[in-house]
Amino acid sequence: MSTRLEIQDLTHSYGGDRPALSGLTLSVEPGELVALLGPSGCGKTTALKIIAGLLSPTAGDVRIGGRSVLNVPPEQREAAMVFQKSLLFPHMTVESNVGFGLRMRGTPRGEMRERVERALRRVHMGGFATRKPAALSGGQQQRVALARALVTEPRLLLLDEPLSALDANLREGMRGLIKEVQREGKHTTVFVTHDQEEAVILADRIALVTDGHLRMYDRPEAFYDRPLNREIAEFFGAANFLHGQARNGTVETPLGALKLAIPATSGEVTLTIRPEAVRLEGGENSFSARVREATYLGTQVLYGLEASGGVALKAALPPHTRLTVGDDVLVRLPAESLWALGR
Amino acid sequence: MGRRVKITLLLAPALLVVSVLFAGGLSAAVVQSLGYLPAIGRTEVSLDAYREVLGSRDFLDSLLLTVYVAGASTGISTVLAVLSALALRNSAGRLSAAIFQLPVTIPHLVAAVGIALVVSQTGLGARVAAALGLIGEPSEFPALLFDRHSIGIILTYVWKEVPFITLVALAALRGVAAELEEVAQTLGANRWQRFWYVVFPVIAPGVVAASLIVFAFTFGAFEVPYLLGQTYPTILPVMAYNEYRSIDLSSRPAAMAINVLIALITALFAAAYLRLGRGLGRG
Repeated sequence: MSTRLEIQDLTHSYGGDRPALSGLTLSVEPGELVALLGPSGCGKTTALKIIAGLLSPTAGDVRIGGRSVLNVPPEQREAAMVFQKSLLFPHMTVESNVGFGLRMRGTPRGEMRERVERALRRVHMGGFATRKPAALSGGQQQRVALARALVTEPRLLLLDEPLSALDANLREGMRGLIKEVQREGKHTTVFVTHDQEEAVILADRIALVTDGHLRMYDRPEAFYDRPLNREIAEFFGAANFLHGQARNGTVETPLGALKLAIPATSGEVTLTIRPEAVRLEGGENSFSARVREATYLGTQVLYGLEASGGVALKAALPPHTRLTVGDDVLVRLPAESLWALGR
Repeated sequence: MGRRVKITLLLAPALLVVSVLFAGGLSAAVVQSLGYLPAIGRTEVSLDAYREVLGSRDFLDSLLLTVYVAGASTGISTVLAVLSALALRNSAGRLSAAIFQLPVTIPHLVAAVGIALVVSQTGLGARVAAALGLIGEPSEFPALLFDRHSIGIILTYVWKEVPFITLVALAALRGVAAELEEVAQTLGANRWQRFWYVVFPVIAPGVVAASLIVFAFTFGAFEVPYLLGQTYPTILPVMAYNEYRSIDLSSRPAAMAINVLIALITALFAAAYLRLGRGLGRG
């Protein structure tokens, strides 16, 4: 049941001066899980509702399985949606909730019962068929909502922040369940979230959307290693930025000439390196610095370093590195971890 | 404990009014319905008045008419209100809301007079119909007041109660029902399936509660049937009033027995309503 989803030049305006979405174009491969990541109000839920058919776009096209669905009503798109709130039908039992989509299609009773049972087992809710939603916890409700969406074997699975209403410990379990169920059923899935950690853990690819524009669409690790620009780097927690002049394969910075594994094009550039990639050692790209700040974070220690010329850097090091404020250290920025941002 | 005392004290003025006016009146009615009327020298207590009332043809006719009027008014109002709410739910318009809320603020008495001015055979409706050539003479306009089918009364109640039930239904529709409908839609439910399987069951408890209130009210209300109703049979509260106004003080117990019976039937509906409310709390 794997289907390709294509979104072309999608634009939507609610009538304000700035459109909620402008020119969003991306395609989701069959069986792929794509996270639409962005801060609240960036237009990602609007995009999801347009894919589901609950909203009509101002311009652009949505194609499911190669065919435009703009004229297809939501109930015929076979795009099941799971919302932030579980939104189970309060007057129905768990069983009737999960069977709802099948019942609307006129599935025979015997087959319906069997498929509902299987769907409930898939989300580990086998023993709850006869309960009413009010008798379930928030996490259980959300799992039933997932089963309800999956039971009809939809062509698309659309998830609108399904974890954000859950407690932190439940969220992890639900996250695992979504991934497991999605892999198993090979559902083409679009997952909307504002939580970059969630997106990184779940998604095959991440579409970063801010102010209604697609900023970057790539595999999760690319957002850490090769962010397109400073805004994206900052969104993913990058803290180190160095200005310099690229010339003949090296970059002249206040810390000296730095080598990059992937050379930057000549001219003015901004370099970035993740705090985890900074090393305390000599060699290529090394210089001396003084420890200005040390914050113990349990699994690592975050050091604030000051190099010559007042350049500040953050370094995240294993917790056994016992440096104290005022220590002088030798710092190395490995060439393979330095990345020149686009201008 | 101190908190409870405080709450009781704060509620005391309201409770006092309720108990004196309501419980006091009701117990006086019960006492008189049992035939205890020292003012005319009757001091023995009996159920004669109830026997007399319940055994009379008049009472039965009145009861049936009252059930019919209250039932028809409630049924028609409920259906119209649900349809109106469905039509209004997507309009954020203040005008439609204002038009809908207007009847809620108008007293039943004024509503009855207004309806009478429009639908009587000498009223606005008859004259407009005659002027348009729909009928020859205004007097050919169908008799909608003081008629056997109590059309005038039902019209007044429908006009008054539709907005009330609509407001309740609208509140439910604009809340979670809209979101649930979207879910149902993405799960493949068409318009009719969405209404029947999702929207209606979700708004039903509120609508049922509101219509029970309307039924209980129309069952016990006096002024509209008194103004617009036929002379026989009359609606129960009008019958009780007529008995009460009788010069013969010995018909007082019967009048009070009718009142007590109205109160009992209404109480049954209130109990059903409370039970429904509790069921919802659990669900």
